[in-house]
Amino acid sequence: MRAWRYFLYILIAIILLTLPFYTGVYLLNVIDIILIYLALALSWDMLLRSGQISFGMAGLFGVGGYTAVLLHLNAGVNPLFSIILGGLAAGVLAWVIGMAVLQLRGMYFAIVTLALAEIFRVIVRNLPDLTGGPEGTVLPSAIFSGNSTRTYWLVLAVAVVSVMASEIFRRTRIHFALTSIRNDEVVAKSSGIDVFKYLVFIFMVTSAIQGMIGGAYAHIYGFVSPEGSFSVDFTLLPIAMALLGGMHSTWGPVVGALVLGIVSEFLKLKIPYGHLLVYGLIIVIAILFFPQGIVGTLGQRFKRTGKV
Amino acid sequence: MSLIGKLKQRNYQIAFICLILAVLLGLWKPHVLIEGLQRACLYAVIALPMALILGIVGIINLAHGDFMMLGAYFAYWLNVYTGMDPLVAILPALLAFFLIGMASYRAIIRYVLGAPELNQLLLTFGLAMVLEQLANLIWTSRPMKLPLKYVSASATIGSFTFGTYEFIYVGAAIIVLAGLLLFLKRTSTGQAALAVGQNPRGAKLVGIHVDRTYLLIFSLSIALVGAIGAIFMTRHSIFPLVGASFTMKSFCLIAMAGIGNLMGILWCSLILGLAENFVLSFRGYAGWADILFFALIVFVIIVRARQRQVK
Repeated sequence: MRAWRYFLYILIAIILLTLPFYTGVYLLNVIDIILIYLALALSWDMLLRSGQISFGMAGLFGVGGYTAVLLHLNAGVNPLFSIILGGLAAGVLAWVIGMAVLQLRGMYFAIVTLALAEIFRVIVRNLPDLTGGPEGTVLPSAIFSGNSTRTYWLVLAVAVVSVMASEIFRRTRIHFALTSIRNDEVVAKSSGIDVFKYLVFIFMVTSAIQGMIGGAYAHIYGFVSPEGSFSVDFTLLPIAMALLGGMHSTWGPVVGALVLGIVSEFLKLKIPYGHLLVYGLIIVIAILFFPQGIVGTLGQRFKRTGKV
Repeated sequence: MSLIGKLKQRNYQIAFICLILAVLLGLWKPHVLIEGLQRACLYAVIALPMALILGIVGIINLAHGDFMMLGAYFAYWLNVYTGMDPLVAILPALLAFFLIGMASYRAIIRYVLGAPELNQLLLTFGLAMVLEQLANLIWTSRPMKLPLKYVSASATIGSFTFGTYEFIYVGAAIIVLAGLLLFLKRTSTGQAALAVGQNPRGAKLVGIHVDRTYLLIFSLSIALVGAIGAIFMTRHSIFPLVGASFTMKSFCLIAMAGIGNLMGILWCSLILGLAENFVLSFRGYAGWADILFFALIVFVIIVRARQRQVK
């Protein structure tokens, strides 16, 4: 059984790595976008496992993107290194924010993160000397001069980092700490868990991942702008994906991202203005009818019939 | 009793700050005072129905501004097809949005009343997205505006000219606030709603129909905000995302005033409206005005959390 499983993993890895050699450029681009949203959905879900909901994903995504692009442009930092630095910048920023706002719970934390994302956007728009103001900044060329194969590998690496981080958090004691904080904070505290420390830590890590994704995204498309890099899409779509797939797991957001990514690509061709409508409907329907998502619902069914 | 006393005290404090700010501004920059007053009342009148829902039904309706946007399009649409003046369209908008509010409560909101806060937030978030994209699909994202003559009315005092039509927001804010306060304090239905807001189970025990009260309050709030949309569209151009920023601002005002403090919302919106217009009046720094609301909401929420911890 175990040997089979390893064989399956290796097979999937080989397929993912060699994907560029037998798909067209268009398909590769679609996969890039799906992987980016997949990583964002995972990072959002990782914070959610502690019971904290963040609406500020777009803010940290944008900060990472701007940091990477500006460092590359003004300080001549290597693009790949600047992506990592973008992630670090978002992480440090999240640490500072987290120290101040992680006393808050539930809706107050959610609203504060949403407001902070807006604040970042306004600041970026109003510093034209540094950030290029409302028009944003355009890089002379995209990363790898737009080579789609190498771009795909970069995105794949980012997605794999997110999946690994999520799995590490699921398999170590951090998982138990976060789950107990989500279920009952008082009990968690009395079992000796430093609630605040863990929350700041997980907020920092997920923000760093979001910043890294933002940096990669900015380098792939070669530009950053206040409306584009801080677009509310980067908050909404990953949330819809994580919800549809199933929260509090690694495979939920992955499945959700794959399903929604493929569906939305079709819808984009059918209804160019308003395919986001489907995302909104999915959020509403998922919350109303199957709050556990695809993976959660299927998992329950399997458990009930005793197949696994 | 002590809680009510405290709220009153707080209101007086805020009102006092307002007064000082207003006098200083009026002496220095009179147009900031007038326009700030008008803008503040627009914010207040939009925030009031949201505060009603949050205070009594206990749900943060993140689709609040989008209902206003729909109201604006409703009035626009009536004007295009029947030639009805948007200000007359307030009445049909009230009726139509009461029904829309009922429908959304019955179909969606009712099912998450007992659910975790996260689900409520996400649900109304999704609802907001649906409404925005629906408007985008039907009316496209092109800004629309009706050519109305009476909106550019102005008055001149000495060398100082200002628009008088915008005082309609001041009127609307006073009417809505007074109406809501009278409804909640003087009618038995309103008292029942207050009781439900304080303790749903207790209200049920004394024979109040809780679900029906929720339905009434939710529909009433949506009706109000739809009607405000009709007023809003006479002066401003409308597009599908026009309401989204008002949702955040309304929430900010409610968080600042404290949940259940309707009168406080008016004072808080006065402070914010004046401050925002004050920043806007400096040439070259107008872009920073947007940050005021968001910075304030973060500040207020953090300070509130600290206060609660100290106690």
